[in-house]
Amino acid sequence: MRIVIAEDLLLLRDGLVHILTSTDHEVVAAVDTAEALLQAVADHHPDLSIVDVRLPPTFRDEGIRAALRLRPSPVLILSQYVERTYAAELLADGRGAVGYLLKDRVTALDDFLDAIERVAAGGTAMDPEVVRQLFARNTNNQGVATLTPREREVLGLVAQGLSNSAISTALVLAPVSVEKHIGNIFAKLGLPPSDDSHRRVLAVLAYLNA
Amino acid sequence: MRTARSFVYLVTSLLAGPVGLLWTLATTAVTTIGAVTALGAPVFLTVTWLDRRLATAERRRAALVLGSPIGSPYLPVTGSGWARVRQVAAQPATWRDMAWFVLLFPLGLSLGIVAVVTAAVTAGALTAPAWAWSVPERNAPPIGQHLMGTTGGRLLLTLAGLALAPVAVWLLRRLARLQVTVAVALLAPGEHGRLVRRTQELAATRARVVDAQAAELRRIERDLHDGAQARIVAAGMTLALAERRARTGTAILNDVVTARRQLDNALAELRRLVRGIHPPILTDRGLPAALSALAADCPVPVTISVGLPERLAPAVESAAYFVVAEGLANAVKHAGGSGCSVTLTGSERLTVSVSDDGPGGADPKGSGLDGLRRRVEALDGTFSVTSPPGGPTRLTAEFPCAS
Repeated sequence: MRIVIAEDLLLLRDGLVHILTSTDHEVVAAVDTAEALLQAVADHHPDLSIVDVRLPPTFRDEGIRAALRLRPSPVLILSQYVERTYAAELLADGRGAVGYLLKDRVTALDDFLDAIERVAAGGTAMDPEVVRQLFARNTNNQGVATLTPREREVLGLVAQGLSNSAISTALVLAPVSVEKHIGNIFAKLGLPPSDDSHRRVLAVLAYLNA
Repeated sequence: MRTARSFVYLVTSLLAGPVGLLWTLATTAVTTIGAVTALGAPVFLTVTWLDRRLATAERRRAALVLGSPIGSPYLPVTGSGWARVRQVAAQPATWRDMAWFVLLFPLGLSLGIVAVVTAAVTAGALTAPAWAWSVPERNAPPIGQHLMGTTGGRLLLTLAGLALAPVAVWLLRRLARLQVTVAVALLAPGEHGRLVRRTQELAATRARVVDAQAAELRRIERDLHDGAQARIVAAGMTLALAERRARTGTAILNDVVTARRQLDNALAELRRLVRGIHPPILTDRGLPAALSALAADCPVPVTISVGLPERLAPAVESAAYFVVAEGLANAVKHAGGSGCSVTLTGSERLTVSVSDDGPGGADPKGSGLDGLRRRVEALDGTFSVTSPPGGPTRLTAEFPCAS
């Protein structure tokens, strides 16, 4: 996969390049500003951009703003902190091909590589921490309250963007049970059933974000 | 000289008294008439404005006796029209000025006359040999004829003058003192003004403290984000790759060494940050030990002299520590001098000073120094930097340290 990286801290930029190149990806550009990111994406048309939230010159949310300008090109935001607000902004266009992960997640290498594949393919990768924040704001939600603990677990993984098979592996459940749980969850939340897993994630996130 | 100035003060009061009284009477009349017309507000404001100019002249005149003018008691006024009138009228200083002008007339007149008579008699007696011959003697009483008419008598008058002179000097100074004491009582800033000023000062320093604190928190967040946190993530990445390699049986010693180094750096970074927030030794051992540690880390030789009573309030210790730390850091960075000296003294008030023998020219508005100033002001202290071109640079902070 051809990837552009925007990260201002040299240590982490090098670390990412190192990880990606040693896992058979090609880093076509590694830059340290939002400006350079936009230019690099225009020049290289990468399969994915991995972008830090905080970039020069003001070190606030330049990365998020640049990512929004890059859409619909696939973007994975990597940050040392997650904010539900930023997640909502990234998801707002409802197109998928977007991810928002803590930098720590890179160390669970297989999951991370899985996430970049998913985002590049038009899917979604939301950090468990974002999902936790989304659940926290839905504690009084009628629909969520009717879910069983198991269903909540499944919903959490769906919201992170995992496919049915990934969910069944993670929870050690038969694929059929996963499908059944998902059917129940969608019914309880009043969401239209959907076989397309990308669209499904977006529906769930939109529901939790509402 | 002091006597001469006292005399001038008393004599000018002779003139100022009637002027003040007439002014007060005239303006009271004008303002009273003005009050019933639409021009009430502008008239009142104009009159009080002029009033304050006159009173300020009086404050300056008091410098003849006091050495320096009496401080101004006026508080800032905002708005316009009647809002302004209300504010001016609410200030006690407005009415105290007026009271002074009314009182100055009898006071200035009586004291002025006594002063003039005293001075004239003394001067006359002293200089008797020079003029007494010209006075017609016919109607004078015999004792007068003798004193003024004969050379011996005139010299006797001079002697009397010499004896009288110290008394006259004492009296003149005394009278001037008396009058200026009344002036101070009425014209100097009163309790009301002092409290208002103090409140404004406190509000301003408090706002600066809040700003400084927010800036400090932002700095700490940035340092953590770009420092320790990033290094730990990097170590995690290195180990993640190592894990993957280990699965395929590749050697991973290099990765492990790298990860360990990255974690060591992260720890060092955290220690540095913690020390910048609050050095642990300061809590454990107090200011002298913390300053010795600071000096030991400083690349230029530092002499420290501490004359302090045991421990101070934690906030004061911390502020004093950072004044010294910043002072030394600046000296190393800019001064390139061959040495610094740090002095801490005081019991009621703590005085901290850091001076170097560098080339001077430090900018007291620089962010580091400004941060220190806020920190010191938050504790009701004062902070000053002197750094003339050519040096030396000297930071001085003073705090009340009743703990």
